Amino acid sequence: MIGNFLDQFWSLTFGGLSLGFIYILIALGYTMVYGVLRMINFANSEIFMVGTFATIIIIRDLFKFTQVSEYATGFRLWLILGTALIFAMLVSGILSMLVEMVAYRRLRRMNSGVLAPLISAIGVSMVLSESVRILTDSRPVASPRAMEKKFLGQFFDAGIRIDNTIIVISALVLFAILITFVNKTRMGKAIRAVSMNPNAARLMGINIDGVISATFLVGGLMTGAAGFFYTLKYENTSAFIGFELGIAAFTAAILGGIGNIKGAFYGGLALGLLETYASFFLGTQWKAVTVFIVLVLVLYTKPNGLFGEALTQTRA
Amino acid sequence: MFNLRDKGAEIWENQGRIGRIVIAVGAIAIVAALPFMGGTFLNTPVADYESVLVYPIAMFVLMAIGLNIVIGKSGLLDLGYVAFFAIGAYTMGLLGTKTDLNTWEILPIGIAMAMFSGIILGVPALKLRGDYLAIITLGFGEIVRIVALNLGALGRSEGIQGIPTPPGIFGIEYAFDSHRIYYWTLLILILLAIWMVRRLSARRAGRAWESIRQDEDAAELLGVPTFKYKVWAFVLGASVGGAAGVLYASKTLFIAPDNFTLQISILILACVVFGGMGNIWGVILGAVILGYLPDRIRFLSEARLLVFGLVLVIMMNLRPDGILPRKKREKAIVKKDAS
Amino acid sequence: MNKSLIELKNVTMKFGGVTALSDVTFDVKEKEILGLIGPNGAGKTTVFNVITGVYQITSGEIIFDGKSLAGVKRYKITKRGIARTFQNIRLWGDMTALENVMTAADTHKKSGLVSGLFGFPISRREEKRDKARAQELLDFIGIGEYSDRLAKNLPYGVQRRLEIARAMGAEPKLLLLDEPAAGFNPAEKVELAATIRKIRDAGYTVLLIEHDMSLVMKVSDRVVVLDFGQKIADDSPRNVQDDKRVIEAYLGVPEDAS
Repeated sequence: MIGNFLDQFWSLTFGGLSLGFIYILIALGYTMVYGVLRMINFANSEIFMVGTFATIIIIRDLFKFTQVSEYATGFRLWLILGTALIFAMLVSGILSMLVEMVAYRRLRRMNSGVLAPLISAIGVSMVLSESVRILTDSRPVASPRAMEKKFLGQFFDAGIRIDNTIIVISALVLFAILITFVNKTRMGKAIRAVSMNPNAARLMGINIDGVISATFLVGGLMTGAAGFFYTLKYENTSAFIGFELGIAAFTAAILGGIGNIKGAFYGGLALGLLETYASFFLGTQWKAVTVFIVLVLVLYTKPNGLFGEALTQTRA
Repeated sequence: MFNLRDKGAEIWENQGRIGRIVIAVGAIAIVAALPFMGGTFLNTPVADYESVLVYPIAMFVLMAIGLNIVIGKSGLLDLGYVAFFAIGAYTMGLLGTKTDLNTWEILPIGIAMAMFSGIILGVPALKLRGDYLAIITLGFGEIVRIVALNLGALGRSEGIQGIPTPPGIFGIEYAFDSHRIYYWTLLILILLAIWMVRRLSARRAGRAWESIRQDEDAAELLGVPTFKYKVWAFVLGASVGGAAGVLYASKTLFIAPDNFTLQISILILACVVFGGMGNIWGVILGAVILGYLPDRIRFLSEARLLVFGLVLVIMMNLRPDGILPRKKREKAIVKKDAS
Repeated sequence: MNKSLIELKNVTMKFGGVTALSDVTFDVKEKEILGLIGPNGAGKTTVFNVITGVYQITSGEIIFDGKSLAGVKRYKITKRGIARTFQNIRLWGDMTALENVMTAADTHKKSGLVSGLFGFPISRREEKRDKARAQELLDFIGIGEYSDRLAKNLPYGVQRRLEIARAMGAEPKLLLLDEPAAGFNPAEKVELAATIRKIRDAGYTVLLIEHDMSLVMKVSDRVVVLDFGQKIADDSPRNVQDDKRVIEAYLGVPEDAS
């Protein structure tokens, strides 16, 4: 077992890394919203799920790929991937904003405590996943393969697959853009101000509703990108996919210290690797259980996360 | 709508002891007679009327009463309530097929198992903030299902078949298709649960839960052992879920992980929220309506969960107290004084 | 002089880099009314919070009734005999005034869920007795007629008094009052002063935070003054009023502003 593990170590690691980057992007959806609202965005998992379907719509319906199509190459391939990524991000981003308006905004104005918005968000995620379930007849949906999954090279004995490479590089780029946005732009600074101290931010004339909307938008964009990458890697989705990925990404956010953008990065990577290694030993059917145990242990022993600096200093 | 609650409370509080007994007995008699009304407008075109009375309606009512202890009374959001239902059902399934114990002997064991898992989950989870509790319980509900799906001893996706029906008592036989017998059995369990909840709410425990729900820190600082009472609420809720699970397994005679999905937790949550968190009559009414309508109105049955999701969003935004809100004792009493 | 009921010995409380209390030492004698005053941010409410276990002190010691309070759970501190009110009213709004008091009174109850469930005679008797006692407390504070009203619907002044009655419900030896006169008009303040004295005469020890100087000086047996987390005076009301450092702290001298 251990011998096998060492043989496969690098290929597992590459798979775990790309999964980790998918987690990072979804975790950003949780962590940013948590930063400004101090609330778990329960619907984020379904926003991810919708992102995977948005990707399939582009590849399958716009570019008419089927399971037997020839692979696209060159410029056309990048056009397809680029369109799908942007479309998935936009759909999820806008949906995320809508979710905020429907599930949270009114309750926030009513100052209704913690329970009501949580339940309302649960309701919204139920509506989203059920709508998609009814539309897809409860069946999983396969994504046609538009890109040949070549190996770019070898690292020790492990092949470096092109889709994993694309995921890691694009996710890094998106993450860098996000960090720049949060640190350099007006809106980014406003988001940080609100997450540090909403009342002070309000007194300084920041439009809180606008900032919260923007935060949901940005979180949704990142989560939508994760939907695209997930579809690229696993070529499969269903109406039920949100739950498992959602709770894993939430665990990643907690692991890194929720509310903390850099924490989401470390937490996502750590969980992606941990889950992949654990699945190797225990079998993939137990990976949700592994994730859950990690979540409970972290919440119980280090609720501020393993990687974060003091939460108050680096919140979103 | 507003008047429905106050009217009811007013009538009840202005009755003497005998009047109250008459009302209670009358209400129970009407509810117990429901299986005979299959031929009337109540009939359900989607599924067999009498079986609908058992599941979902009576089962939902029982579980909603249990979940209401957790959510409505003490303000703890438990999104994994199905776990306790599943634990009760699997206890019945395993012991019913592997041992000679019968349903009535397994019932307390199933309840104990559910309470025990309530402690296992609750003791670490209840130390956390409310929204973390929500996600931990959400995960737990799903973990129980995954464990059932992957453990050979629990039958994996095949589940457990050939679970025995309850043995007859007092000459009443439980046949697989005698729905009304199960319905009446559940009715007795429901009455017991109502009795338990009302009893506790009127006393020290009820006050402690209420204070925790409204301001936990203030409660702790005024001497309420908040953690202990939160665990109690959680465990009592679990016990009701476990009891429902045992009965469910002994009724369907076949259980599989698919019967215990996350959606059940959300359905029961919707019943509680729709009816009115914290008001036991509201919760019962909510469970009856949400259990009944999808089988009465055909197009609802396909989109059942969608509708329930909508119910959660709409109720929270427009009427967060539910259709029959928490009783405001003040009003009824003031009226009585005036008369 | 009576013996000490509670002693704070060299108590220091730091939050990160900020020192809220610095080496504070004072005691409250039995059956005494001790006024705790100081400008805004002096650390008065922090004193309440360290006594009631909301914060664990960074160093020092708090002895109550001969025993240390270090590491004692918050509800157990109440059980030992310390109860407080809140500066920003924190009643349980959806409960009646009577229930608010009864809930706090449950602190000392033995009978648990099981006997509550089966309605053992002991529990039923206890319930009756508690109700009567809670009503007595409301009468004592002068708000008996509001017992069946929901706390959230009560007038502001009644809510403030209910805070006191609720804390007394927990049968404390030491009662911590956090600005009980906030928002009161002069007539109400006079009445409150009488109530506080009445509470002391009934056998309670009172530690009082209050902004209204005339009220503090009128009811307190002794006054402790905090400024920037340090004790700057501990004397009779008369002497404190003449204390140079106290006057400086309140009026602000240039060195404070720097």
